[in-house]
Amino acid sequence: MLYNISTPINKKINGITIGDRVEISGIIYTARDAVMPKLVEFINAERLEELSVNLSGSAIMHTAFSPAGYGPTSSNKEEIESTMGILSKAGVRFHLGKGEIKQNTIDEISEFGSVFIVVPPASALLQNRLVSKRVVAFEEEGMEALHELIVNRLPGVVAAANGMSIFNR
Amino acid sequence: MIDITRIEAACSEAVLAASIGYEPAKIKVWEKAIETESEENSRWILEMLLENAYTAREKRLPMCDDTGIPYVLIEIGRDAKINGNPAKIIDAAEAGIAEGLRRLPGRPMAVKGDSFDRITQEKGLYEDSGMVFPSPVRMKSVSGSKIKITVLLQGGGPEIRGRTYRVFHHHNLDTFRTEIAGWAVEMARLLGCTPCVPAIGVGRTHYEANCLMMDAMAYGVFGEQNDLEKFITEKVNESNTGPLGIGGKITALQTFSRIGYQRASGIRVVSMRVGCIVDPRRHSLILE
Repeated sequence: MLYNISTPINKKINGITIGDRVEISGIIYTARDAVMPKLVEFINAERLEELSVNLSGSAIMHTAFSPAGYGPTSSNKEEIESTMGILSKAGVRFHLGKGEIKQNTIDEISEFGSVFIVVPPASALLQNRLVSKRVVAFEEEGMEALHELIVNRLPGVVAAANGMSIFNR
Repeated sequence: MIDITRIEAACSEAVLAASIGYEPAKIKVWEKAIETESEENSRWILEMLLENAYTAREKRLPMCDDTGIPYVLIEIGRDAKINGNPAKIIDAAEAGIAEGLRRLPGRPMAVKGDSFDRITQEKGLYEDSGMVFPSPVRMKSVSGSKIKITVLLQGGGPEIRGRTYRVFHHHNLDTFRTEIAGWAVEMARLLGCTPCVPAIGVGRTHYEANCLMMDAMAYGVFGEQNDLEKFITEKVNESNTGPLGIGGKITALQTFSRIGYQRASGIRVVSMRVGCIVDPRRHSLILE
Protein backbone atom coordinates (compact mmCIF):
# COMPACT_ATOMS: atom_id res chain seq x y z
CA MET A 1 0.00 0.00 0.00
CA LEU A 2 1.28 3.50 -0.85
CA TYR A 3 0.26 6.38 1.38
CA ASN A 4 0.65 9.96 0.19
CA ILE A 5 0.96 11.92 3.40
CA SER A 6 0.81 15.68 3.83
CA THR A 7 2.55 16.87 6.96
CA PRO A 8 1.72 17.99 9.54
CA ILE A 9 -1.28 15.70 9.83
CA ASN A 10 -4.31 16.69 11.86
CA LYS A 11 -5.80 13.24 12.33
CA LYS A 12 -4.49 9.72 12.68
CA ILE A 13 -3.83 7.78 9.50
CA ASN A 14 -5.86 4.61 9.87
CA GLY A 15 -4.55 1.32 8.63
CA ILE A 16 -0.94 2.29 8.07
CA THR A 17 1.28 -0.64 8.91
CA ILE A 18 4.75 -2.07 8.50
CA GLY A 19 5.80 -2.63 4.92
CA ASP A 20 3.64 0.18 3.57
CA ARG A 21 5.32 2.65 1.28
CA VAL A 22 4.90 6.35 1.95
CA GLU A 23 5.58 9.57 0.15
CA ILE A 24 5.63 12.57 2.43
CA SER A 25 4.95 16.08 1.21
CA GLY A 26 4.96 19.18 3.38
CA ILE A 27 6.96 20.18 6.42
CA ILE A 28 9.55 17.94 8.02
CA TYR A 29 11.98 18.91 10.75
CA THR A 30 15.56 17.72 10.82
CA ALA A 31 17.40 16.79 14.01
CA ARG A 32 20.10 14.36 15.11
CA ASP A 33 22.54 13.67 17.93
CA ALA A 34 23.38 17.26 18.89
CA VAL A 35 19.86 18.70 18.82
CA MET A 36 17.57 15.88 19.96
CA PRO A 37 18.56 16.17 23.65
CA LYS A 38 18.17 19.96 23.50
CA LEU A 39 14.74 19.63 21.96
CA VAL A 40 13.71 17.20 24.68
CA GLU A 41 14.93 19.65 27.33
CA PHE A 42 12.58 22.28 25.93
CA ILE A 43 9.71 19.76 25.87
CA ASN A 44 10.36 18.66 29.45
CA ALA A 45 10.58 22.27 30.62
CA GLU A 46 7.33 23.04 28.75
CA ARG A 47 9.20 25.75 26.84
CA LEU A 48 8.58 24.44 23.33
CA GLU A 49 6.63 27.56 22.40
CA GLU A 50 9.92 29.50 22.64
CA LEU A 51 11.06 27.66 19.53
CA SER A 52 9.33 28.15 16.20
CA VAL A 53 8.42 24.49 16.13
CA ASN A 54 4.99 22.87 15.99
CA LEU A 55 5.40 19.19 16.77
CA SER A 56 1.69 18.32 16.59
CA GLY A 57 1.22 15.79 13.78
CA SER A 58 4.75 16.45 12.62
CA ALA A 59 7.53 14.49 10.95
CA ILE A 60 11.15 14.55 12.14
CA MET A 61 13.94 13.24 10.00
CA HIS A 62 17.14 12.07 11.68
CA THR A 63 19.59 13.99 9.55
CA ALA A 64 21.88 16.96 9.28
CA PHE A 65 21.33 19.51 6.55
CA SER A 66 24.27 21.04 4.71
CA PRO A 67 25.36 22.12 1.24
CA ALA A 68 26.16 18.42 0.71
CA GLY A 69 22.45 17.64 1.05
CA TYR A 70 20.51 15.58 3.54
CA GLY A 71 19.86 11.91 4.17
CA PRO A 72 19.03 9.73 7.15
CA THR A 73 21.61 9.01 9.82
CA SER A 74 21.43 5.89 12.02
CA SER A 75 18.34 6.23 14.21
CA ASN A 76 19.71 3.70 16.70
CA LYS A 77 22.34 6.13 17.98
CA GLU A 78 21.74 6.73 21.70
CA GLU A 79 20.82 10.40 21.58
CA ILE A 80 18.37 9.83 18.76
CA GLU A 81 16.61 6.60 19.66
CA SER A 82 16.26 7.53 23.34
CA THR A 83 14.25 10.63 22.42
CA MET A 84 11.75 9.03 20.05
CA GLY A 85 9.25 8.17 22.78
CA ILE A 86 9.07 11.62 24.33
CA LEU A 87 8.92 13.25 20.90
CA SER A 88 5.98 11.00 20.05
CA LYS A 89 4.26 12.10 23.25
CA ALA A 90 4.89 15.71 22.18
CA GLY A 91 3.14 15.12 18.87
CA VAL A 92 5.69 13.77 16.40
CA ARG A 93 3.89 11.16 14.30
CA PHE A 94 6.58 10.24 11.78
CA HIS A 95 10.15 9.43 12.76
CA LEU A 96 12.21 9.26 9.58
CA GLY A 97 15.59 7.55 9.71
CA LYS A 98 17.35 4.31 9.14
CA GLY A 99 18.61 1.23 10.97
CA GLU A 100 17.03 -1.20 13.37
CA ILE A 101 15.48 0.24 16.53
CA LYS A 102 14.67 -1.57 19.76
CA GLN A 103 11.32 -3.14 20.55
CA ASN A 104 10.85 -0.93 23.63
CA THR A 105 11.28 2.15 21.42
CA ILE A 106 8.72 0.76 19.02
CA ASP A 107 6.31 0.18 21.91
CA GLU A 108 6.86 3.75 23.14
CA ILE A 109 6.16 5.43 19.82
CA SER A 110 3.25 3.09 19.05
CA GLU A 111 1.53 4.14 22.26
CA PHE A 112 0.96 7.53 20.63
CA GLY A 113 0.15 6.23 17.14
CA SER A 114 3.53 7.26 15.78
CA VAL A 115 5.49 5.28 13.22
CA PHE A 116 9.13 4.80 12.22
CA ILE A 117 9.86 5.10 8.53
CA VAL A 118 13.12 4.15 6.86
CA VAL A 119 14.17 6.61 4.18
CA PRO A 120 16.69 5.62 1.52
CA PRO A 121 20.01 7.43 2.01
CA ALA A 122 19.75 8.80 -1.48
CA SER A 123 20.93 12.37 -1.00
CA ALA A 124 21.08 13.30 -4.67
CA LEU A 125 17.48 12.10 -5.22
CA LEU A 126 16.26 13.68 -1.99
CA GLN A 127 17.80 16.99 -3.02
CA ASN A 128 15.52 16.90 -6.07
CA ARG A 129 12.52 16.58 -3.73
CA LEU A 130 13.45 19.55 -1.55
CA VAL A 131 11.26 22.62 -1.99
CA SER A 132 12.71 24.90 0.69
CA LYS A 133 14.71 24.91 3.91
CA ARG A 134 15.32 27.18 6.87
CA VAL A 135 16.92 26.98 10.29
CA VAL A 136 14.35 27.25 13.06
CA ALA A 137 16.37 26.55 16.23
CA PHE A 138 19.81 25.80 17.65
CA GLU A 139 21.62 27.59 14.84
CA GLU A 140 24.87 27.28 16.80
CA GLU A 141 24.96 23.58 15.89
CA GLY A 142 25.69 24.35 12.23
CA MET A 143 24.61 21.51 9.95
CA GLU A 144 23.10 19.80 13.00
CA ALA A 145 20.76 22.74 13.72
CA LEU A 146 17.02 22.10 13.75
CA HIS A 147 15.92 22.81 10.19
CA GLU A 148 12.43 23.01 8.75
CA LEU A 149 12.31 21.52 5.27
CA ILE A 150 9.44 21.54 2.85
CA VAL A 151 9.63 18.43 0.73
CA ASN A 152 7.71 16.94 -2.15
CA ARG A 153 7.14 13.16 -2.22
CA LEU A 154 9.91 12.12 0.15
CA PRO A 155 9.93 8.31 -0.12
CA GLY A 156 10.12 5.70 2.62
CA VAL A 157 8.93 2.36 3.95
CA VAL A 158 7.11 1.99 7.29
CA ALA A 159 9.47 -0.08 9.44
CA ALA A 160 7.70 0.10 12.81
CA ALA A 161 4.06 0.75 13.65
CA ASN A 162 1.41 -0.50 16.06
CA GLY A 163 4.02 -2.30 18.17
CA MET A 164 5.22 -4.31 15.19
CA SER A 165 8.51 -4.08 13.35
CA ILE A 166 9.79 -5.06 9.98
CA PHE A 167 13.05 -5.90 11.77
CA ASN A 168 11.54 -8.84 13.70
CA ARG A 169 12.47 -11.57 11.31
CA MET B 1 58.86 14.45 -14.81
CA ILE B 2 55.91 14.64 -12.45
CA ASP B 3 55.32 18.10 -11.03
CA ILE B 4 54.31 17.99 -7.39
CA THR B 5 51.40 20.35 -8.05
CA ARG B 6 49.75 17.54 -10.01
CA ILE B 7 49.39 15.57 -6.78
CA GLU B 8 47.28 18.39 -5.35
CA ALA B 9 45.11 18.53 -8.47
CA ALA B 10 44.73 14.74 -8.54
CA CYS B 11 43.57 14.59 -4.93
CA SER B 12 41.06 17.36 -5.55
CA GLU B 13 39.66 15.62 -8.62
CA ALA B 14 39.54 12.24 -6.88
CA VAL B 15 37.37 13.62 -4.06
CA LEU B 16 34.78 14.69 -6.61
CA ALA B 17 34.93 11.54 -8.70
CA ALA B 18 34.63 9.26 -5.67
CA SER B 19 31.57 11.12 -4.38
CA ILE B 20 29.34 11.39 -7.40
CA GLY B 21 28.60 7.93 -8.66
CA TYR B 22 29.28 4.21 -8.72
CA GLU B 23 32.09 2.66 -10.73
CA PRO B 24 30.91 0.60 -13.74
CA ALA B 25 31.78 -2.77 -12.16
CA LYS B 26 29.71 -1.92 -9.09
CA ILE B 27 26.75 -0.99 -11.29
CA LYS B 28 26.91 -4.45 -12.88
CA VAL B 29 26.88 -6.14 -9.46
CA TRP B 30 24.05 -3.84 -8.35
CA GLU B 31 21.95 -4.63 -11.42
CA LYS B 32 22.39 -8.34 -10.73
CA ALA B 33 21.30 -7.71 -7.13
CA ILE B 34 18.09 -6.08 -8.38
CA GLU B 35 17.39 -9.15 -10.53
CA THR B 36 18.03 -11.45 -7.55
CA GLU B 37 15.97 -9.56 -4.99
CA SER B 38 12.49 -11.06 -4.73
CA GLU B 39 11.00 -8.78 -2.04
CA GLU B 40 9.04 -6.07 -3.82
CA ASN B 41 9.85 -3.20 -1.40
CA SER B 42 13.48 -4.23 -1.24
CA ARG B 43 13.77 -4.25 -5.03
CA TRP B 44 12.13 -0.80 -5.09
CA ILE B 45 14.77 0.45 -2.64
CA LEU B 46 17.61 -1.03 -4.71
CA GLU B 47 16.25 0.59 -7.87
CA MET B 48 15.91 3.94 -6.12
CA LEU B 49 19.47 3.80 -4.75
CA LEU B 50 20.84 3.02 -8.20
CA GLU B 51 18.85 5.95 -9.58
CA ASN B 52 20.44 8.06 -6.83
CA ALA B 53 23.90 7.11 -8.10
CA TYR B 54 22.94 8.03 -11.67
CA THR B 55 21.39 11.33 -10.53
CA ALA B 56 24.51 12.16 -8.54
CA ARG B 57 26.67 11.57 -11.62
CA GLU B 58 24.39 13.56 -13.91
CA LYS B 59 23.99 16.54 -11.59
CA ARG B 60 27.43 16.28 -9.95
CA LEU B 61 25.95 16.01 -6.48
CA PRO B 62 27.25 13.87 -3.61
CA MET B 63 25.54 10.45 -3.56
CA CYS B 64 25.44 10.70 0.23
CA ASP B 65 25.31 13.84 2.35
CA ASP B 66 27.89 12.28 4.66
CA THR B 67 30.72 13.02 2.30
CA GLY B 68 33.10 11.17 4.57
CA ILE B 69 36.56 11.43 6.05
CA PRO B 70 39.10 11.36 3.22
CA TYR B 71 41.88 8.79 3.13
CA VAL B 72 44.77 9.16 0.67
CA LEU B 73 47.01 6.38 -0.54
CA ILE B 74 50.02 7.42 -2.63
CA GLU B 75 51.99 4.75 -4.48
CA ILE B 76 55.27 6.13 -5.80
CA GLY B 77 57.24 4.34 -8.46
CA ARG B 78 60.87 3.87 -7.44
CA ASP B 79 61.95 5.35 -10.78
CA ALA B 80 59.53 8.29 -10.66
CA LYS B 81 61.06 11.68 -11.40
CA ILE B 82 59.44 14.34 -9.25
CA ASN B 83 59.68 18.04 -9.95
CA GLY B 84 59.47 19.77 -6.59
CA ASN B 85 60.35 19.05 -2.99
CA PRO B 86 59.38 15.41 -2.21
CA ALA B 87 59.01 16.41 1.44
CA LYS B 88 55.96 18.41 0.34
CA ILE B 89 54.07 15.49 -1.22
CA ILE B 90 51.88 15.05 1.84
CA ASP B 91 51.23 18.81 2.05
CA ALA B 92 50.16 18.74 -1.61
CA ALA B 93 47.80 15.82 -0.98
CA GLU B 94 46.20 17.54 2.01
CA ALA B 95 45.78 20.79 0.09
CA GLY B 96 44.15 18.89 -2.78
CA ILE B 97 41.73 17.16 -0.45
CA ALA B 98 40.70 20.49 1.08
CA GLU B 99 40.13 21.97 -2.36
CA GLY B 100 38.14 18.93 -3.48
CA LEU B 101 35.89 19.10 -0.45
CA ARG B 102 35.21 22.79 -1.07
CA ARG B 103 34.36 22.11 -4.72
CA LEU B 104 32.13 19.11 -4.00
CA PRO B 105 30.81 20.62 -1.60
CA GLY B 106 31.68 18.35 1.28
CA ARG B 107 29.73 18.30 4.50
CA PRO B 108 30.98 20.95 6.95
CA MET B 109 31.41 18.57 9.85
CA ALA B 110 34.85 19.35 11.26
CA VAL B 111 34.66 19.99 15.01
CA LYS B 112 36.23 23.20 16.36
CA GLY B 113 38.60 23.40 19.30
CA ASP B 114 41.47 21.41 20.71
CA SER B 115 41.56 18.10 22.49
CA PHE B 116 38.61 17.89 24.91
CA ASP B 117 36.59 20.52 22.98
CA ARG B 118 36.63 18.12 20.08
CA ILE B 119 35.09 15.41 22.23
CA THR B 120 32.21 17.49 23.53
CA GLN B 121 31.69 19.48 20.31
CA GLU B 122 30.86 22.47 22.53
CA LYS B 123 32.67 24.98 20.30
CA GLY B 124 30.61 23.98 17.30
CA LEU B 125 31.59 23.12 13.74
CA TYR B 126 33.64 24.81 11.03
CA GLU B 127 31.52 26.12 8.19
CA ASP B 128 34.37 25.33 5.78
CA SER B 129 34.16 21.73 4.58
CA GLY B 130 37.85 22.01 3.67
CA MET B 131 38.59 21.83 7.40
CA VAL B 132 37.74 18.12 7.32
CA PHE B 133 41.37 16.99 7.30
CA PRO B 134 42.18 13.63 5.76
CA SER B 135 43.34 10.67 7.81
CA PRO B 136 47.15 10.35 7.88
CA VAL B 137 48.31 10.02 4.28
CA ARG B 138 49.78 6.59 3.52
CA MET B 139 52.64 6.15 1.06
CA LYS B 140 54.05 3.03 -0.55
CA SER B 141 56.95 2.54 -2.91
CA VAL B 142 56.20 0.39 -5.94
CA SER B 143 57.94 -0.60 -9.13
CA GLY B 144 57.88 1.70 -12.16
CA SER B 145 58.06 5.42 -12.76
CA LYS B 146 54.46 6.49 -12.11
CA ILE B 147 52.63 7.87 -9.10
CA LYS B 148 49.20 6.47 -8.31
CA ILE B 149 46.89 8.51 -6.12
CA THR B 150 43.87 6.80 -4.55
CA VAL B 151 41.33 8.66 -2.46
CA LEU B 152 38.68 6.94 -0.36
CA LEU B 153 35.88 8.71 1.50
CA GLN B 154 34.79 7.04 4.70
CA GLY B 155 31.24 7.72 5.91
CA GLY B 156 30.31 7.67 9.57
CA GLY B 157 27.74 4.85 9.66
CA PRO B 158 30.22 2.03 9.05
CA GLU B 159 32.58 3.59 11.60
CA ILE B 160 29.94 3.11 14.32
CA ARG B 161 29.82 -0.61 13.57
CA GLY B 162 33.44 -1.29 12.61
CA ARG B 163 35.70 -3.39 14.79
CA THR B 164 39.35 -4.37 15.18
CA TYR B 165 39.76 -7.33 17.48
CA ARG B 166 41.44 -10.68 17.92
CA VAL B 167 40.00 -13.93 16.63
CA PHE B 168 41.02 -17.30 18.07
CA HIS B 169 41.43 -19.36 14.93
CA HIS B 170 42.07 -22.80 16.54
CA HIS B 171 44.20 -23.49 13.46
CA ASN B 172 41.02 -23.97 11.49
CA LEU B 173 39.88 -21.73 8.64
CA ASP B 174 36.23 -22.59 9.17
CA THR B 175 36.41 -21.49 12.81
CA PHE B 176 38.05 -18.25 11.75
CA ARG B 177 35.67 -17.39 8.92
CA THR B 178 32.57 -18.36 10.88
CA GLU B 179 33.48 -15.94 13.67
CA ILE B 180 34.10 -13.00 11.39
CA ALA B 181 31.00 -13.80 9.33
CA GLY B 182 29.10 -13.44 12.60
CA TRP B 183 30.59 -9.98 13.05
CA ALA B 184 29.53 -9.00 9.55
CA VAL B 185 25.96 -10.26 10.05
CA GLU B 186 25.62 -8.31 13.29
CA MET B 187 27.10 -5.11 11.84
CA ALA B 188 24.96 -5.28 8.71
CA ARG B 189 21.78 -5.71 10.76
CA LEU B 190 22.41 -2.47 12.66
CA LEU B 191 23.95 -0.50 9.81
CA GLY B 192 20.75 0.65 8.14
CA CYS B 193 22.61 1.46 4.92
CA THR B 194 22.49 -1.96 3.29
CA PRO B 195 23.34 -3.56 0.90
CA CYS B 196 26.76 -3.39 2.44
CA VAL B 197 30.28 -4.15 1.30
CA PRO B 198 32.25 -5.73 4.16
CA ALA B 199 35.99 -4.98 4.08
CA ILE B 200 38.36 -7.14 6.09
CA GLY B 201 42.04 -6.89 6.96
CA VAL B 202 43.94 -9.61 8.82
CA GLY B 203 47.30 -8.64 10.30
CA ARG B 204 49.70 -9.09 13.21
CA THR B 205 48.79 -5.85 14.92
CA HIS B 206 45.79 -3.54 15.02
CA TYR B 207 47.66 -1.06 12.84
CA GLU B 208 48.44 -3.69 10.22
CA ALA B 209 44.92 -5.07 10.26
CA ASN B 210 43.50 -1.59 9.68
CA CYS B 211 45.95 -0.85 6.86
CA LEU B 212 45.05 -4.16 5.21
CA MET B 213 41.34 -3.41 5.57
CA MET B 214 41.93 -0.08 3.81
CA ASP B 215 43.91 -1.92 1.11
CA ALA B 216 40.94 -4.24 0.69
CA MET B 217 38.71 -1.21 0.11
CA ALA B 218 41.20 0.39 -2.24
CA TYR B 219 42.03 -2.64 -4.39
CA GLY B 220 38.97 -4.93 -4.17
CA VAL B 221 37.40 -5.69 -7.54
CA PHE B 222 33.63 -5.88 -7.94
CA GLY B 223 32.59 -9.17 -9.48
CA GLU B 224 35.63 -11.05 -8.13
CA GLN B 225 35.65 -12.79 -4.73
CA ASN B 226 37.90 -15.44 -3.20
CA ASP B 227 36.48 -18.29 -1.09
CA LEU B 228 36.64 -16.34 2.17
CA GLU B 229 34.93 -13.33 0.61
CA LYS B 230 32.21 -15.49 -0.95
CA PHE B 231 31.59 -17.18 2.40
CA ILE B 232 31.17 -13.84 4.23
CA THR B 233 28.89 -12.44 1.52
CA GLU B 234 26.71 -15.56 1.55
CA LYS B 235 26.40 -15.61 5.33
CA VAL B 236 25.42 -11.94 5.43
CA ASN B 237 22.85 -12.50 2.71
CA GLU B 238 21.42 -15.53 4.54
CA SER B 239 20.56 -13.17 7.42
CA ASN B 240 17.62 -11.78 5.42
CA THR B 241 18.43 -8.29 6.71
CA GLY B 242 17.92 -6.95 3.21
CA PRO B 243 18.22 -3.45 1.75
CA LEU B 244 17.90 -0.80 4.49
CA GLY B 245 17.19 -3.65 6.90
CA ILE B 246 13.64 -4.17 5.63
CA GLY B 247 14.23 -7.81 4.71
CA GLY B 248 15.27 -9.49 1.51
CA LYS B 249 17.93 -11.53 -0.19
CA ILE B 250 20.43 -8.75 -0.80
CA THR B 251 22.19 -7.58 2.37
CA ALA B 252 25.76 -7.64 1.05
CA LEU B 253 26.85 -6.93 -2.50
CA GLN B 254 30.35 -8.26 -2.13
CA THR B 255 33.19 -8.69 0.38
CA PHE B 256 36.74 -7.40 0.02
CA SER B 257 39.62 -8.80 2.09
CA ARG B 258 43.39 -8.67 2.48
CA ILE B 259 45.45 -11.09 4.56
CA GLY B 260 48.92 -9.89 5.53
CA TYR B 261 51.92 -11.41 7.27
CA GLN B 262 51.07 -13.39 10.38
CA ARG B 263 52.96 -14.29 13.54
CA ALA B 264 53.01 -17.65 15.35
CA SER B 265 49.99 -17.22 17.60
CA GLY B 266 46.58 -18.64 18.42
CA ILE B 267 44.98 -15.38 17.37
CA ARG B 268 44.71 -13.28 14.27
CA VAL B 269 44.00 -9.55 14.46
CA VAL B 270 41.03 -8.71 12.26
CA SER B 271 39.78 -5.30 11.22
CA MET B 272 36.31 -5.23 9.74
CA ARG B 273 34.43 -2.29 8.32
CA VAL B 274 31.04 -3.14 6.93
CA GLY B 275 30.86 -0.52 4.22
CA CYS B 276 27.55 1.10 3.39
CA ILE B 277 25.55 1.53 0.19
CA VAL B 278 27.99 3.99 -1.36
CA ASP B 279 31.16 2.11 -0.38
CA PRO B 280 33.81 2.01 -1.44
CA ARG B 281 33.75 5.64 -2.49
CA ARG B 282 37.13 5.55 -4.17
CA HIS B 283 38.91 6.98 -7.14
CA SER B 284 42.43 6.51 -8.45
CA LEU B 285 44.48 8.65 -10.81
CA ILE B 286 47.85 7.78 -12.30
CA LEU B 287 50.46 10.49 -12.86
CA GLU B 288 53.30 9.87 -15.30
